[in-house]
Amino acid sequence: MKKRKWFKLASLLLAAAVAGTGCQGQTGNEQGQKKEGSTVQIDFWAAPNPTQQAFWKKMADRYMEEHQNVKIKVSPMPESPSSEAGIQSAIAAGNAPVISENISRGFAAQLADSRAIVPLDQFEGFDDLIGKRQMKSTISTWKFADGHQYVLPIYSNAMLFGWRIDILKELGYNAPPKTYSEVMEVGKKLKEKYPNKFLWARADLVKPTWWARWFDFFMIYNAASNGTHFIDGNKLSADRDAGVKTLQFFADLSKNQLVLTKETKDPFESGTSVMSDLGPWTFPYWAEKFPEMKFNEKYVLSMPPVPDGMNPSQAKTFADTKGLVIYASATKEQQQAAFDFVKWVYSDPQNDLEWLKETNLPPARDDLSTNEAFVSYFAQNPQLKPYAENIPNAIPPMDNAKMVELQELIGKEALNPVVKGEKTPEKAWEDMEKAINGVLK
Amino acid sequence: MNKHAAKVGWLLASPYLIYSAIFFLIPLFWALYLAFTNWNLISPEYETVGMQNFLDAFFSPSVRAAFWVTYKFMLMFVPIVIAGSLFLALIIHHLPRWKGLFAVGYFLPYLASGVASSIVVKGVISYNSPLNQFLRDALGWDIDWLGSPILAPLVIALMMAWKFVGYYALLFLSGLESIPKEVYEAAEIDGAVGWKRVWHVTIPMLYPSFYTVTILAVGLMFGIFTEPYVLTGGGPEYATHTWQLEIYNQAFEKLNAGYGTAVAIINSIVTFASIFVFRKVLEKWGGKHGWE
Repeated sequence: MKKRKWFKLASLLLAAAVAGTGCQGQTGNEQGQKKEGSTVQIDFWAAPNPTQQAFWKKMADRYMEEHQNVKIKVSPMPESPSSEAGIQSAIAAGNAPVISENISRGFAAQLADSRAIVPLDQFEGFDDLIGKRQMKSTISTWKFADGHQYVLPIYSNAMLFGWRIDILKELGYNAPPKTYSEVMEVGKKLKEKYPNKFLWARADLVKPTWWARWFDFFMIYNAASNGTHFIDGNKLSADRDAGVKTLQFFADLSKNQLVLTKETKDPFESGTSVMSDLGPWTFPYWAEKFPEMKFNEKYVLSMPPVPDGMNPSQAKTFADTKGLVIYASATKEQQQAAFDFVKWVYSDPQNDLEWLKETNLPPARDDLSTNEAFVSYFAQNPQLKPYAENIPNAIPPMDNAKMVELQELIGKEALNPVVKGEKTPEKAWEDMEKAINGVLK
Repeated sequence: MNKHAAKVGWLLASPYLIYSAIFFLIPLFWALYLAFTNWNLISPEYETVGMQNFLDAFFSPSVRAAFWVTYKFMLMFVPIVIAGSLFLALIIHHLPRWKGLFAVGYFLPYLASGVASSIVVKGVISYNSPLNQFLRDALGWDIDWLGSPILAPLVIALMMAWKFVGYYALLFLSGLESIPKEVYEAAEIDGAVGWKRVWHVTIPMLYPSFYTVTILAVGLMFGIFTEPYVLTGGGPEYATHTWQLEIYNQAFEKLNAGYGTAVAIINSIVTFASIFVFRKVLEKWGGKHGWE
C-alpha cells in the first residue's frame, strides 16, 4: 500500500515537471500571439550583432509611437551554433518569431520549401513598397522559381575585388586588370618582381566549404556568364561555356602559382597578395586595425575580371545579401502588422540612410548611388560608392532548398580539384554537372 | 537497507530522475523516432522512411570518414595527453611549494574557449606567421599545416592535448598524492630508486587515474567539433571530419535532421562500444597488476 503511495508521489512529481515544461513552451508561444485589447504583438528577430539590433530597436520604437495598437519586441536571433540553426530550432519548437531579418536567399529557399515562411508579394501594398523603396530592378533577381517573393532584401553587397594599387603602380599599372589575360599579365610581372607575393591568397579554394563558393566561384562565374542563373528551379541551367572558362581561369592562376591556398593572416593588408574578394564589412575592421589602408592610395575596387572578348563594363558579380521574411506560424493579423511595419520603415529613404550609417551595409535600392539622400554619405565614404553603383549588377544566391549540397559539389567536383591540378576544367565541369543532376533529380 | 531508507533514497534521487527523464529520456525516444523519418525540423509534413537513414549513413563516405578519423585522433591524442599530463603531474607533485598555484595555472587552458584558441592557433600557423617565416627562411621548409591530411589532424590533436593536459594532470596529481609513503619506503629498501621507482611503483599505483583519464580521453574523441569546425571545416579530404561535424552539417546545414539523428545514434553506439572495449582492456590489465 505504502509502495503505491510513493509511486503515486513520484508520478505526480514527474507529471508536474513535464506539464510545467510544456506550459512554459506554450506560454512563450502564446506571448507572441497574445492580443492585449486591440494591440497586436510582434516578435522581431534582428541579426545577432549590436548595430543591426540598435537600428531595428530604433525603428520599432518610432513606429510604436505612431501606431499605439502595435507592440514590437526586437531581440537578437539565437545563434546555436548558427543563426540558421537557431531559427530551425525555434520553428521546430513552435517558438518562431513573426518576422526576422538576416535571411539569405538560399536559406529562404529551404524555409519556403518547408512552407515555414509566407510569400511577401501576396500582402496588400507589396508593389507600393517596392516602388517607394526604388528596388524594382534589385528585387527582380530575387523572384523564386514559383514566381513569388519570399524575402525582402535589406542590404546588398555587390562583391568586388580589392587590388593593392600601390603594388600595381610599382609594377607599372595605374588601374586593376579587367580581363583574364590582363590578370595573368599582372601576375607574371608580380612574380618577376616579387617571387614571394601572390595575386590572391584564399585557402578556401581547396576546401569544399559550401558558402565559400559565393566569394570565389560565383563572383567569377557571374561575370563570365553575364549573370546566367546557375540553377533554375530544380534544373541546372548554368552556362557551360562560361563555367568552363571560369574553371580555366582558376586553373591558370594555380598553374602559374598566382594563388596561395595556405591559411594566411590578413594577406591583402600585409601585401602577401595583391587582390582580394572584399565586402564593405571589411572597412570598419581596417579603420580599427589597418588605418593605413586608404582608398585610392593603398587599394582600389573593381568588378570581377571577365574572359577575353567580353565587355568588362557589363560584368556581373555575386550579391552577398540578406533580407526580411515573415513566418507562416504567425497569425494573419500579426503577419499583416509585420508587413505594415516593414512598409513604413522603407517608405522613407532617411531610414535606409540611417541603416547605412549604422551598419555600413548598402541598402538594396536601385537608386543608392543617385538618390540625393545618400550623396553626402558616399562623398564622405567613397569606398562604398562602387558597392552602391553595382547593386543592380549583383546576382543573389540560388533559390534551391538543396543549395548547401549543390554548392558543396561545385567545390568538391570542380573548383577544388581544378585548383589542385587534379582535373581539367572540362572534366571537372562534367563531373560537377553529373553530381548536381544526381542531387536535383 | 530498510524500506524507509529506500524511500528516502528514492525521494532524494527523484529530482535528478525527473530531470533526466525530461531532458534525456524523452529526447532520446524522440530522437529514436526522428531517425526513422525524413523530417527537416521545419516542414509541417514528413514521412517515416524505415531504415533508409541508417543505410544511407552506412554507405556514406563522410560517415565512414568520421568513423576512422575518430580513431586516428585517438591514436594521436590519447598517448600525447596521457604522457603530457602524467609528466606535468610528476613535476607538480615534486615541487617544494606552490603546488596549487601551478596546478591551477596548467588547468587554465581547459577553461579557454575552443573558438578563441582555434583562432590563435590559426594565426600561429598561418603562412605569414613568424614561425612559418622562420621555417621558410632558415630551413627552407614551406609547411602547409592545415592543408596536409597528416599534419592537420596532428595540429588539432596537439591543440586539444594543450587544452586537456592540465585537467588530466589534476587527476594524476590526486592519484600521486594518495600513494602512501610507506610503499615508496618499502620499494627503496628493495632497491627501487629513480626511474625504476616510477616504473614499478608509481605508475602501477596510478592505475585508477590512468583508467579514468584514458576513458575520459577516449570519450572526448567522439565529441570533437569546435577545433575542426574553425580550423579545417573537416578537410583536407575528410582528414579531420568528425562525427559531430557530420551531424551538424547534416542536421543544421543541409536540413536533413532525420538523417543527422540517425548518424548521431550510430555515433553513440560506436562511442559506447569503443569505451566498453577500452574499459575491458584496461580492467584486464589492471587485474593482472592486482587491481580488481
